[in-house]
Amino acid sequence: MSPVLRILARRLGISVIVLIGVSMLIFAIARIIPGDPARIALGPSATPEMVQALRAEMHLDEPLVAQYGHFVADLARGDLGQSLYTNRPVTTDILEFLPATLELVLVAGVLMVVLGLPLGILAARHRGRWPDHVIRVLTLLTVSAPSFVWAVILMLLFAFYLPIFPVAGRISDVYAIERVTGFLTIDTLLAGNFAAFADAVHHMILPAVALSLSGIGQAARLTRANMIETYDKPYIEMAQAYGFLPVRVARSYALKPSLIPSLTIIGLDFAAMLGNAFLVEAVFAWPGLSRYGVNVILRKDLNAIMGTVLVIAITFLIVNIIVDLLIAFLNPRIRHSTRGAS
Amino acid sequence: MIKTKGVFAAALVAATALTAPALAQSVLRLDEVAVGELDPAKASDYADSILMFNVYDTLLLPRQGGPGHVPHLASGWDVDGVNFTFTLREDVTFQSGNPMTAADVVYSLERMQALGQGLSYLFGGVSAEALDEMTVRFTLEEPYAPFVSSLVRLPIVDMALIEANATEDDPWAEAFLSANGAGTGAYTVTAHNPQSETVMALNESYFLPIGEAAPDEVRLRYGLEAATVRTLIAQGEHDIASQWLPPEVIGALAEDGAQLLTESGTGAFYVKLNTARAPLDDVNCRRALAHAFDYGTALQMIEIADGVSQGSPATGAIPVGMFGANGPEMVMTRDMDAARAAMEACPYPAADWNLEISWIAEVPIEERFALLMQANFAELGISSTIETLPWALFTERVTTPEGTPHISQIFFNAVTGDPDTLLYGMYHSSVPGTWQSPEYLNDPMVDAALEAGRTGATEAERSEAYAALNALLLEIAPTIYGYDRQSVFAASDRVSVPALSDPAMAFGLDGMGFTFRLMEMADG
Amino acid sequence: MIRAWRIIAGNPLSLTGLGLVTLIVLAALVAPWIAPFPNHNGAVVDFAYANRGPTARNWFGTDLVGRDIFSRILYAYQISLGLGLVVLAIATPIGTVVGLLAGYMGGWTETILMRIVDIFLSIPPLVLAIAVMGVLEPTLTNAMIAVTAMWWPWYARLVYSIARSEREEGYVLAAEVIGARTFHIAFREILPNCMPAIVTKMTLDMGFVIIIASSLSFLGLGVQPPTPDLGSMVAEGARYLPDSWWLTVFPGLAILLAVFGFNLLGDGLREVLGVDQ
Repeated sequence: MSPVLRILARRLGISVIVLIGVSMLIFAIARIIPGDPARIALGPSATPEMVQALRAEMHLDEPLVAQYGHFVADLARGDLGQSLYTNRPVTTDILEFLPATLELVLVAGVLMVVLGLPLGILAARHRGRWPDHVIRVLTLLTVSAPSFVWAVILMLLFAFYLPIFPVAGRISDVYAIERVTGFLTIDTLLAGNFAAFADAVHHMILPAVALSLSGIGQAARLTRANMIETYDKPYIEMAQAYGFLPVRVARSYALKPSLIPSLTIIGLDFAAMLGNAFLVEAVFAWPGLSRYGVNVILRKDLNAIMGTVLVIAITFLIVNIIVDLLIAFLNPRIRHSTRGAS
Repeated sequence: MIKTKGVFAAALVAATALTAPALAQSVLRLDEVAVGELDPAKASDYADSILMFNVYDTLLLPRQGGPGHVPHLASGWDVDGVNFTFTLREDVTFQSGNPMTAADVVYSLERMQALGQGLSYLFGGVSAEALDEMTVRFTLEEPYAPFVSSLVRLPIVDMALIEANATEDDPWAEAFLSANGAGTGAYTVTAHNPQSETVMALNESYFLPIGEAAPDEVRLRYGLEAATVRTLIAQGEHDIASQWLPPEVIGALAEDGAQLLTESGTGAFYVKLNTARAPLDDVNCRRALAHAFDYGTALQMIEIADGVSQGSPATGAIPVGMFGANGPEMVMTRDMDAARAAMEACPYPAADWNLEISWIAEVPIEERFALLMQANFAELGISSTIETLPWALFTERVTTPEGTPHISQIFFNAVTGDPDTLLYGMYHSSVPGTWQSPEYLNDPMVDAALEAGRTGATEAERSEAYAALNALLLEIAPTIYGYDRQSVFAASDRVSVPALSDPAMAFGLDGMGFTFRLMEMADG
Repeated sequence: MIRAWRIIAGNPLSLTGLGLVTLIVLAALVAPWIAPFPNHNGAVVDFAYANRGPTARNWFGTDLVGRDIFSRILYAYQISLGLGLVVLAIATPIGTVVGLLAGYMGGWTETILMRIVDIFLSIPPLVLAIAVMGVLEPTLTNAMIAVTAMWWPWYARLVYSIARSEREEGYVLAAEVIGARTFHIAFREILPNCMPAIVTKMTLDMGFVIIIASSLSFLGLGVQPPTPDLGSMVAEGARYLPDSWWLTVFPGLAILLAVFGFNLLGDGLREVLGVDQ
């Protein structure tokens, strides 16, 4: 078995254990909810008989272990129950809203990598001189405010004072795009509607930037630190002593080893973005899963809360597996490690 | 046969669209904070009502600009004691093409009663029977004078279409109706996304003529932030804002040139006191609060611009204009001397009160009222804490008297325009512990007055009963009557809405002003 | 100590950080005496001055019920810093103990403890806090619980990785040879070597806790009014953009300033204590 496959198998194994744990954790959180979920579900005008009937239907009268059993059994069938907020199956809601969030987070992730890494490399190469200082202050600033503050500031500047970007939504009303993947940037291209594509991208810029700002700062700071650490290694010093061009040193010798720790952190930053999407989607009325999450939490919509958290956890696990595989590709030494990077 | 006609009509529409591309579709865009519930049997709040009044029709409608009702799906009706017999119009078809018959009316009532949600409580003890294809008779178990006005809340649904979409697990096709329309209304549902909007299109085969200028398409958007709505309207990308915008934002829009639409006369802002918990179980303690509340400042807080406000002074439990109300001159005012006098008679020392003042998280202005009350009551030496409750949690908390906060803030309007639907659910001792009745009032005299109001044979008799009730309620102060509510909507100049701008065209029923077929869109 | 001061004083950025943190902590401590309107931290209404922009009377303007925003920001710092301290004071020991035990003892203890840590870490941090807050009632105490629940695993992981490498070191082996008890080795021998990393992380984390706590209150899941809170001030004010910009901008900048200060200081400390990223 190739080492990469072995890592994949091992990660998947761990993921299953973690998923079981996550489902227990979510279940535990959902069961400490104050108040009776059945009564909340039925709304203000329900009779006690109706509440009792729903309690039975939701298995609320059974012992906790049995309730967890029902939860897992339903989960295995892809049945997350009915959302009280939308009156639809939670699975339907998640399938509808997840692509919008993924699209936003992926674009923000790309921004983070294409802006964060070069900034970090630039700072490392000019270590101790003014570009390093400027980048340090800027990146520290970006990680020093929650993404909702950036979202509000960007909105104020570029949607209110200079109205060059739209304030809300994913696409203008005038475009009716058939849903294929749920990713509007892809669906508009599939439909061959380039004006709609441009419009979707236009809508995405402000939220994606607001979401990625602290990630950019984080990625730049880590890349700088890792590059500097690598620069201090003897083989780099030797390369510099041989008089190799700084660009060549940076690209051929320092970058690749520095990328590996950065990648791990970028995986974590991606998780942070999944969380921060809750804030950014709220500001920009982005109809994604995170906004759904906030809405269902405010309404104590139990099934939907559990479903949303579970799906986000799964997304994060998948991202981590991808990151681990990337690291394995980049670092052949990893195949000799028995412990791996847990 | 019908199907063929439908296809032919569709082809005709398509052909027209091809030959006349210059005719642009007019689009009306508006918003609501809550997601609209499409299922008409579950409709209760404002967004639900807007959808219901446009996708569905009712047997009758409130008369515009005056009291009473006019026939709508019905061509006429007879009242004989507890029997109400309606003759239906023959020319009405559902959006599916199915003709509407008496069986649909019976089915609509049964579906609503079976689901038991939304406003189904209006139809307890009512049964219906189809006398023939076009005649239906409702029978009441006991006399209920405002029954006719309740019928504006009985949307008629398409029995054949619903039964075709019902399953064993879902006999009333709730899944289908939560995302689709099955009515006769002037607008058909074309898309429903609970996170962002419901899109509706004009129903070309509506049974009544619709003006040329009525919007071809309507987008009801959900959950937009106030700042977003503010900008969208300023940029010409939104037409009517929800009434829940804070007064400052409505004011800013008006300054930018937005028109202000209004709807009033059936609702009020109620500060409800939990009469089942100390110290508010004592009438004098409650009176102290009612006297100490700063009515003037509350009104100042909701003022939008000169002459336009989100409310007018309250005169009692019943909004001015509804029958049984006090005259507009008997306004509630702050009276600290009376408040202190009442405190003297209150058996609980002020320092021990620790009032819980709650506010509904979805309605930001209530936070300011909570702060105002905290400051007002502090002048009597009363300590208090403020508690934010999301609506869902609030409705759960009020189910027990111990869980119900001392003070709850509720905006409520008569869902049928009749004072019975305003007050019975609030104060009758048989229905405590709903979001309408966090007072937990249990007063035989109030109960008697409420029953006299709903069974009264004549308008004058009923009016007298409600006037007596109003006086009694002011005496025992289960509620602080904050102000009579007026809904204010900021709107662009693209749309004109006579029902919300001309008193002679007003319906006197919350949400019905948003009958899209009566609106007019300017070109562009 | 002197060396530490030299390194911090030698770096203008770290010095700025130290200055900012000192300023903010002091401002929070003496808020009742320096706030222009000390009673505005509670339920006070003054509609005559409601919703005014910055003036000489109210430097940062007033909110919708007429309270002085500058005074409220000073009080909000009390809440933010207090919450940060409590969260770290609870999360750090829990995480440290778990990490030490897992890292030093190995075997089943390690497997079980670290899998539990993995489970907590596999839900994005803010999402976990939001989920916990979602089912609890929004109060300051519950916000502390929610943030602590998401925070301790990070310390467990940090201490674990240090402890795991330290357990093969000579001094630990020496202690084992002379028969020191497990707890003695873990807490007396290994723990001191973890301290620099823990202290640095705590400084940096003060900033992040402030961010997470304000994010919760931004979503309406944090401290409740009339208690001043930076996150809810931004959330509340965002409704009134762009007209009443001062409602949002000043509290937003206040968050930025505080977190920036802690980050600069944390960066400086990292150099002083020689801690890797």
